[in-house]
Amino acid sequence: MTKFLAIVKREYIQRVRSKLFVVMTILGPILLMVFTVVPGLLMSIKTEDTRLGIVDQTSGTKVFDAVRDSLVKPDRRDSNPKAEMVESLNANSKERVERANQAFTGRILVSKLESSAGSEDEIKRELNNKIVKDEIDGYLIIPPDILENSGASPSFYSKNLSDLPTQAQIERAINDAVRKLRLTAAGVSEEALDRLSKPVNLEVYPVNEKGEQGGRASGIAGFAIPFIVAFLIYITVLLYGQVILGAVVEEKETRIAEILFSSVKSGTLMLGKLIGVSLVAVTQLGIWAAAFGLVVTYGLAAMSSRGLDQIPLHLPAVFFIYLFVFFALGYFIYATLYVLVGSMVTTTQEGGQVAMPIIFLLMAGLYLAFPVMRSPNSSFATWLSLVPFFSPIVMVVRVVTQTPPFWQIALSLLIGLVTVIGLLWVAARVYRVGMLMYGKKATIPEMLRWVRQS
Amino acid sequence: MSHPNGYHETTVQVDQVTKSFGEFTAVNQLSLSVRPGRIYGLLGPNGAGKTTTIRMIVNITAPDSGNIKIFGKQITPELQDRIGYLPEERGLYKKMKVGEQLKFFAELKNINGKEADQRIDKWLARLKLSEWKLKKSMELSKGMQQKIQFITAVLHEPDLIILDEPFSGLDPVNVELLKDVVLELKAAGKTIIFSTHQMEVAEEICDDICLINRSRKVLEGSIRQVRQSFGRNTVALRFEGDESVLSDPAMVTKVERHADEMEVLLAEGADAQILLKRLVAAGAVVGKFEMMEPSLNDIFIAKVTEAA
Repeated sequence: MTKFLAIVKREYIQRVRSKLFVVMTILGPILLMVFTVVPGLLMSIKTEDTRLGIVDQTSGTKVFDAVRDSLVKPDRRDSNPKAEMVESLNANSKERVERANQAFTGRILVSKLESSAGSEDEIKRELNNKIVKDEIDGYLIIPPDILENSGASPSFYSKNLSDLPTQAQIERAINDAVRKLRLTAAGVSEEALDRLSKPVNLEVYPVNEKGEQGGRASGIAGFAIPFIVAFLIYITVLLYGQVILGAVVEEKETRIAEILFSSVKSGTLMLGKLIGVSLVAVTQLGIWAAAFGLVVTYGLAAMSSRGLDQIPLHLPAVFFIYLFVFFALGYFIYATLYVLVGSMVTTTQEGGQVAMPIIFLLMAGLYLAFPVMRSPNSSFATWLSLVPFFSPIVMVVRVVTQTPPFWQIALSLLIGLVTVIGLLWVAARVYRVGMLMYGKKATIPEMLRWVRQS
Repeated sequence: MSHPNGYHETTVQVDQVTKSFGEFTAVNQLSLSVRPGRIYGLLGPNGAGKTTTIRMIVNITAPDSGNIKIFGKQITPELQDRIGYLPEERGLYKKMKVGEQLKFFAELKNINGKEADQRIDKWLARLKLSEWKLKKSMELSKGMQQKIQFITAVLHEPDLIILDEPFSGLDPVNVELLKDVVLELKAAGKTIIFSTHQMEVAEEICDDICLINRSRKVLEGSIRQVRQSFGRNTVALRFEGDESVLSDPAMVTKVERHADEMEVLLAEGADAQILLKRLVAAGAVVGKFEMMEPSLNDIFIAKVTEAA
């Protein structure tokens, strides 16, 4: 036990004291921000206004006025009929993305273009010239029969066809304007139009296994929490998997292993390394969580002082225990996979390549969570939540959506635990035998023989 | 006596031990016994099986067959703490300070706290490394690192110390320093197994030797026994006069000339006294006529080439 603690202590202190750890602890959250938020911002920021010319071939200025209003005051979405948007989930999410982007697009400056030329070809030639001379960025031709003929479609001409958010905005503006005018033309009054276009909201209520109905709720927690847990496992494994791998290979690279093995068993060494690095992870994540917690607390305080409601989380405390337990299990299952890889290879670089499939396994678990979310008590979901490499994510999904019987949760935990111990056992054996043959990576059949041998 | 468990006839008893790696037999039917308080030289060319034998003694690998007893008992983790091992594959944690590193290795042998600190200071002073205690080991020269590794093998005051090529790569001053330390350890009653292919060093400090070649034991015994069993068939000779006697193949098989004397290898069955008589009879003036003991190096080369 003293030897085990000595290994844990060395592993922990050496790593926590290193400059890399200090720098990463400080830079980590900043880098995370930079890599997640900034590309999104860059994508959505449009620096210039778009100068749009509109050629309205209908009689009167009704259509032009409506399109212009819609473009200049684009955010009257709430009053727009939603019914058509709910065709499919995809359309809906597309819609959401566009709305988010809209906030960052530049203004659209609209001008009505009167054309002296007669034929459409001549008009286009003239306007194309304007684009070349950089007087406008693009122009829109609204055909004369747009209100009467539902097959008629406006056309947009521009040098830059890659500015999809702006195009989407234009398309939506015309759509809104034309739809409204067509309805009015069909005899629907303005007031009736607004009233009839009100969207319908689905109210959702949970029913538990005793048949009781709960208060009005939102499914978002069931959707988001498993993903938060999965994401945490993913990030933790990504951050510390390589560290664990490096820690296991360290004694081989520095050729200290032989001295160590004249003092400790390889299993003690493996476990000591795993626990040592895990404590480093706990320390680092703890610091980040504390910083995050401070920001959130401050933010919530600021929100409530402005009279904004805090969002209450309607989840029983036992859920959070499950979440933590399965997070820990998931972490250890994947961490021991890295230990195993470390025991097989002779250098860290080599280990990085061999470890690639671990990430695929982790991502597979994430994707498999989708079907489980839709039918959490199917036999597919039940079996999947017992498979050790997927259970941490899948079981969390099931616990949050429709809590399965306790024995299933316990069995899933047990299988996971046995997997961790089994992997460590194999790793210790592979390490011990492999250590005696420097400079050679173990093949799978060799490993199997070593495991049987020792 | 420094053996708390009482007397054992042998500190290490290796009995009919075989170890193979796949097709390759590294150690074949090897038996040897190391007596307490002596320096035991495990000699042999590279790849003979020395390191594998040592690894089995310190319980890093298990033999395929045969039996090994340390201090009269089967090896256990507790017994491992009474062994100090300096492997030939050497390494230190590069970024760890020397003092911390030694403390870690002491803890792995169940020596903790103040006790460990005192011993570390004592040994660093003995090997003239005190001012390096707070330096990272990557800042040390190779020779210094080797001395640090030596300390890790003796820090816990083991009863059995196993040194695999401890002097290779050291400068002569440090070789002498470590040799003195090894002899001190012997004087303190420790048993030392010393593996090398440098025969001169072995000749100087070993009491007993075992010669291994191609996974088998070739010979074993005290240095004196080994030399005697090899017979005295070389004569160091200095004379003036007729040399024709030396060209008789029935008397002499080889003549090696040095600056002012020669080494004469006698033919099998030839008597040195008769050679002397014939030289004198031929009118030679003999300045030196001395029976030479074969050096360990000679024996080593003879045995290894004989087997080839």
